[in-house]
Parts: sequence; structure tokens; C-alpha cells
Amino acid sequence: MASIKLKGDTSGEVTISAPAVAGTTTLELPATSSTLATQNALGVRNLIINGDMRIAQRGTSSSSYSSGDTYLTLDRWRSNISTAGTWTMSQDTDVPIGEGFATSMKWDCTTANSSLSANSYLYATQYLEGQNLQQLKKGTANAESLTLSFWVKSNKTGTYIAYLFDVDTPSYRYISKSYTINTADTWEKKTITYAGDTIGALDNDNARSLDLLFWLVAGTDFTSGTLQTSWGTTVNANRAVGQVNLADSTSNYINITGVQLEVGEGASDFEFLPYDVQLARCQRYCVAYGGVGTYEPFGIGVETSGTNASIQLGLPVTMRGSISLTASNVGDIRVSDGSAFAAATAINIDQRGFQQVMFNATVASGLAATKACRLIANNSLAPRIIFTSEL
Amino acid sequence: MYKTTTNSFGQTVIIRTNTDGSTTSFFEEQDNTDYQEYLEWLSEGNTPEEAE
Repeated sequence: MASIKLKGDTSGEVTISAPAVAGTTTLELPATSSTLATQNALGVRNLIINGDMRIAQRGTSSSSYSSGDTYLTLDRWRSNISTAGTWTMSQDTDVPIGEGFATSMKWDCTTANSSLSANSYLYATQYLEGQNLQQLKKGTANAESLTLSFWVKSNKTGTYIAYLFDVDTPSYRYISKSYTINTADTWEKKTITYAGDTIGALDNDNARSLDLLFWLVAGTDFTSGTLQTSWGTTVNANRAVGQVNLADSTSNYINITGVQLEVGEGASDFEFLPYDVQLARCQRYCVAYGGVGTYEPFGIGVETSGTNASIQLGLPVTMRGSISLTASNVGDIRVSDGSAFAAATAINIDQRGFQQVMFNATVASGLAATKACRLIANNSLAPRIIFTSEL
Repeated sequence: MYKTTTNSFGQTVIIRTNTDGSTTSFFEEQDNTDYQEYLEWLSEGNTPEEAE
């Protein structure tokens, strides 16, 4: 087997070997100078989950959003707003043509705020688990750079801010970078590289450690200083300097897709994962039932009294940690045991593991202790039972 | 907005009624973001109701 050995000027060497098979194998290098993405090159290299905005278990559109820090539609993408107009956030089918994407995250302004308060803000963010970030070597002399790439489209041109926020270190460290939307109503690809941070190791656990954050609106509390383009402790005034006010007209919108955050100083092509893999990654944080069939089953269990049924359900993946249960339109869910047929009045968590949950379905009357039962939708798509273990 | 109750094993369960009428129930677990919000709500001087 033929090979070429390259020796470094001072230390180290690289060996390039031909495969021991017949035929010609071609390794094509980029036409222009760049850094190849070598970290995790053969594995999952995108630190962002659902960067192509495919998974929306909670729903595909949420309107009248004007307050709160919450997950609206797209899995893993959290929203936070204060005195920054009113918005519809949705999973949209407007995508850059020919790039392989089917969906994007859309923000559509429905009530404008052209005179922001000092502390106005609107941003979309994704929280990342510390144990998935140890390869960044943050807090060491070998801290890795990170490169963010994404597609964006808006009617409003100008400067926008995307930043990384380390929430682990006591002092909270962040780095802000700006990008420019040059042409209205046109998809543009943006690439931003953030230097590695030699201060502040990320905890190696299942808790929130690092946030990626897209600013859409920022009041003067966040814009009156100098943009902090190097890692440093939190100075609010330096967070989002230059950010346009996307809330200043009800004509305003922004679409974002293909979000990738990877180790290194170069952006590789977006890493498309199979749908089931992307869904499973999202389900570590959120599993939603309901809305699929009008008699959709929610689980089986046993009636523990005349007014309660204990239901057990296996989860499709191991969830991150503590689990919450959110139930809506429970009146359209019934406990059925072959004879009794009782509408639920409440559904609340009773026990949880990482892969199994038990919850209680309360009814007005009609059940009998020790009878087996099932929990199903009552000819309705409305009821939802959602298990969350968000960061 | 918040109620507390006990589950079938005697553990405290917190139930939040959300603005859309849905309810969210969870345990007193530090790594639960709903519990962290609940603690903030308590720190503002609020008191939960007891479930019926």
C-alpha cells in the first residue's frame, strides 16, 4: 500500500495512504483556502438540534405572542419577549431553493412596536446540554473555535446579532457577533466564527450550559455599549449593539433555517439527519401525544377508585431528566374499561422514570377499583398530553 | 395559578394552570425548569392553593 508521509516543521506528522483495493479513489480539496471540519467529521457534528426546523411536536403555528419565555412551536427553539410587539411564530415552508430544506422558522410581526422600551427584547434561542459540549474544551488553553452557519431571509435589511452565552460559569460569559441581511426578501447564507474561550469550563452534566441566541429586537439596555465580540463577562449594554428593530412594522418578518453550530473555523454543509433521528433527538426534551387520531390511545392502566385511573406509558426515548406533564382539552379524553366510559376532568403526573411515566386520570364517577382500563381520545383531535424535560 | 397536591405515593405534585387552560404537573425536582419557575413565583411572595 503506497503512502505519503508529511512531517511537521517542529513536530507531528500526517500519513496519507492509498486504499488496498483496485480502482481510483479521489479526495477533492476545496478550490479556495479553508479549514476542513475535522472534529466529528464522521459523526454528528451539528451541536444544534432541529436546525432545519423539521420537528414541531407542539404545533406548527403560535399567534399573539407578546410575553413570556417559552417553547412555542418548533422543538428545541425557545422564545423570549418583552415589550417588543406581538408575533406569530410558525414552522414555515419558505426555504432557500435547491438547498435541501423543507421548513424554516418564521417570525411575523402582527402588532408593531416602533418605540421600544430600554429593556425591550425578542430573541429565539436554543439551550445546549453541557455533557454534549465537552469537546469544545472550554476553559482550557485548547479551547475550540465554533462556527455558526444558517440561512436567513427578511424584508428588513441591516444588522442582526447572534451570540453564544455560557450560563455555567458564575459570572455568565458571552460573545456577540453581528451579521448583515443585505437584500430584502432574499435568502442569504451567513457564517460566523466565534473564538474558543479559555475561561470557564462547561459542566459535564445534563443541565443547560451554552445558549445560541438570535436577537430580533433589542432595546437600549442591550445596545448602548460596544458589541462584545470577544468572550467576556456579561455587560448588558454590549450584548446586541447594532441590532435592527424588527418589531417596527407589521410588514416585518424573518425566516431562519439550516442552523448549524460546529467545532472549528470553517462551516461545512448542513448536516441533514434522517427524520426519525432528528425526532428522537428532540424527544429527549419533549414527547407529545394527541392530534393524530380521533380515538388516539394515550395508555393503559388500572382504575384505582370510582374517580381515578392510574395510566402507565412508555416513552419513545430516554428523556433528559425531570419530567413535567402538560395536558390540554382533557374533557375530550375518556377512561374506558369495557363498561364504564368516563370523561377525564384532570390528568396529572404520578411517577416518572426516564423511560416510563405514570399519571392519574381523574373522572367525575363511574370507575371501579382494580379494573383494567385504557385512556383514549373521545372522537376528537383536540386533546394533547405532552411530556417535557426541557433545559 | 399553582396548586399543590400529593400523588399516590405521598409525594408533592405541583399543578400549574396555564393561560390556555391546559395544566402542567411536576415534582419538586431541582432540574425541572417548571419547578424552578415555581420557586421564583414563591419567592415573589405568592402562595399555592391546595388541590381539592
